[in-house]
Amino acid sequence: MDTSLSLFGDYQVIHNYLPILVFIIFAFAFAIGTLIFSYLVRPNKPDPEKLSPYECGIPPMMDARERFSIRFFIIAMLFLLFDVEVVFLYPWAVVYNKIGLYGFVEMMLFIAILLVGYIYAWRKGALEWE
Amino acid sequence: MHQIFFWGFALLAVFSALMVITRRNVVHSALFLISTFFWVAAIYILLEAELLAAIQILVYAGAIMVLIVFTILLIHVEETKIINPWQRQRPIAILLGVFLLGEIFLILSRALFPESIAGTALQQVAQEGNTEAVGKLLYTKYLFPFEVASILLLAAMIGAIVMAKREIEK
Amino acid sequence: MIPISHYLTLGAIIFIIGSIGVLTRKNAIIILMSIELMLNGVNITLVAFSYHLADLTGQIFAIFVVAVAAGEAAVGLAIIIALFRCRATVNVDEIQLLKW
Repeated sequence: MDTSLSLFGDYQVIHNYLPILVFIIFAFAFAIGTLIFSYLVRPNKPDPEKLSPYECGIPPMMDARERFSIRFFIIAMLFLLFDVEVVFLYPWAVVYNKIGLYGFVEMMLFIAILLVGYIYAWRKGALEWE
Repeated sequence: MHQIFFWGFALLAVFSALMVITRRNVVHSALFLISTFFWVAAIYILLEAELLAAIQILVYAGAIMVLIVFTILLIHVEETKIINPWQRQRPIAILLGVFLLGEIFLILSRALFPESIAGTALQQVAQEGNTEAVGKLLYTKYLFPFEVASILLLAAMIGAIVMAKREIEK
Repeated sequence: MIPISHYLTLGAIIFIIGSIGVLTRKNAIIILMSIELMLNGVNITLVAFSYHLADLTGQIFAIFVVAVAAGEAAVGLAIIIALFRCRATVNVDEIQLLKW
């Protein structure tokens, strides 16, 4: 066993995730530290021109919160549902060697049912951007 | 060690959840909801449900939040008005919530739980890994719910396209 | 070792925060987000029992809950968009055609 973890006693699953936690803490500390440091050292002379949002150097044309096209929603929705499908594929791939042909057939059935939805979305023009 | 992590994650999760329902700006609510999902994923890791923690971040923080944020942009809500036409609903709801919470506390404080056997699962999972153990069970014993889930996703896909499609045809 | 009741209490608190959100907020999107919170509270309970009883069924059920939450978000938000298109509001107090 890894002796460097002996500080925390017996081996537990959570110890594999300590590096991630340390990474997150450092990432947050760096971001917040940089903001605080730059706040302390920078000169602060705001004027309306500087406070306006930066839009490629030209004056802003309109409100940033204009309405989005419905297509963004459709694409995000298809992404969400196929994301869930991939989430089911992942443990299947891990145990594929153990369950063999049986697992292959059941996953093909799963994909076939979702393929119907994919074809429906395609035929309805949900994947077109024009 | 576990205690510190549990209390830290739990307090952050509850704080973010409270922020979700109290912020006036819906975008702030959405950001705090992402934070809640991350802390709940951390709780799953404490409970050694690693696959579920990954799914939580992939599906909830990754996909569902994208959809919610796109919807917010799509319908362009101005910040919710402070004037509340149904003032009396809020105290009643909070009172009911506090009652329900008290009830759950009462039951939990008196309940007798079976002795935890978490240690034995630990050894078993350490050998094959959480994802493999879940996969084995999911694709043998729970095969039927798994196939039904695909039909649910199909129905959701068709339903959402029908609801949103009017503007595509235009 | 954290007792199971701690996890159950955490799940209950998040569930109740979600239900208070559903009951008090007027914005349909925030109501949907509160429902996601409630589902998360339930998932914590399922996973806590799964861990303490050394039975993976709870985790599998939680995965199905996530799949249902995804479907619910897709259809629910599509309904909100359709509603916004014909009523131009997402305030649930102004959508009262079926109320008597």
